Amino acid sequence: MPTLPPKKEIFLTGLWKDNPVLRQILGICSTLAVTNLMVNTLVMDVGLIFTVCMSSLTVSLLRRYTPMRIRMMVQTLIIASYVIIVDIMIRAYLPDISEALGPYVALIITNCIIMGRCEAFARHNPPVASFIDGLGMSLGYSLVLIAIAFIREPLGFGSLLGFRVMPESFVQWTVMIMAPGAFFTLGIMVWILKYFRPQKGEEKG
Amino acid sequence: MKKRVLSVVYMFLITLFFASLVSTVKLLSERKIEFNQAIKLQRIILQVLNIPTEERMAKEDFSRIFKNRVKEIDVEGRTLYVGYEEDGRTIQGYAFPVGGPGFWGPIQGMVGITPDATKVLGIAFIKHSETPGLGGRITETWFLDQFKDLPLYPIEGNQNIFYLGPAGTGKAANELDAITGATNTSSAVEAFLNQDLDYFLKELWGSIEETK
Repeated sequence: MPTLPPKKEIFLTGLWKDNPVLRQILGICSTLAVTNLMVNTLVMDVGLIFTVCMSSLTVSLLRRYTPMRIRMMVQTLIIASYVIIVDIMIRAYLPDISEALGPYVALIITNCIIMGRCEAFARHNPPVASFIDGLGMSLGYSLVLIAIAFIREPLGFGSLLGFRVMPESFVQWTVMIMAPGAFFTLGIMVWILKYFRPQKGEEKG
Repeated sequence: MKKRVLSVVYMFLITLFFASLVSTVKLLSERKIEFNQAIKLQRIILQVLNIPTEERMAKEDFSRIFKNRVKEIDVEGRTLYVGYEEDGRTIQGYAFPVGGPGFWGPIQGMVGITPDATKVLGIAFIKHSETPGLGGRITETWFLDQFKDLPLYPIEGNQNIFYLGPAGTGKAANELDAITGATNTSSAVEAFLNQDLDYFLKELWGSIEETK
């Protein structure tokens, strides 16, 4: 097994260099769904950060004991448990936000980033490194979502975090509220990033 | 063989652990969640009956006002809420639950009407699973406020009590703005609200008047 890179390196890889949304194109479903309002985006981010970090940590702690053949089942169980806990907590202590997010909190479980990190990193790396890897990846996801919401909410609703930022005469772009708006925004972001910072094996074109 | 048995035992133990963890969290927050839901229902009933409450009021205050001003009655097996004015005798309005299929899942709401059943006092939605930011906007004030003072009359033929059309095109009092980008949710709301309002006027209103 190759030696582990330093912690800072692991963190930065997830946050930027190997960003889950922009580079790995993971977690797109929730990216398209919640980024039309900044508030929803922020709660989704917090939920995901908690789930990714805790799942990676738990999978890593159990990595020596989990039989290879059933590891996927174990990972799904761990992820599902944390997601349900997040869902219950939000419903108990943040009822208003629970309303706004509706089914999306429970759908955190389908976010490929969580299982991706458990499979690719946590199951053969020590707990602290896995936690940091999860933190980097989920923060990387959060940053991209916030950036997209920062474009979509003002153009789609004329507001940001519920406060009006566009002039009254501004005609709202309805397409920005809908999933295609997120698709265009995300696509353009990936395009710009690939143009200026092509990865190995990709040529400027 | 031994390995397989080990896998089964391992999975069993780990499931037991996580299931217990989730159940504990659930049990600990259950009362809080139920309390939140009860308060939410009370707040929505007060809201559709036009009984003033303050935005930042403590949850206990909602319950107190609700107790003083609202009575639950049973009409033909359906729960109705009667709102009283501050004197506690004059009826301010009736509230009843409405609902039907939305675009993604069932929508539940509450409608308040005037004591003579001629106009809508207010309307609110309790539960829905419409797309946040699109169909989910049925809970926004601008959409709900349109229904205030909507004239009510029993449906005859294939008429509707109200219509939802593209924003800004409505001229008559019963032509309201639909939600742009959420046509399916808007038509669903239009369908079940018309039906439920009509049902109330035709089936329940008679029984209520008799009990007066």
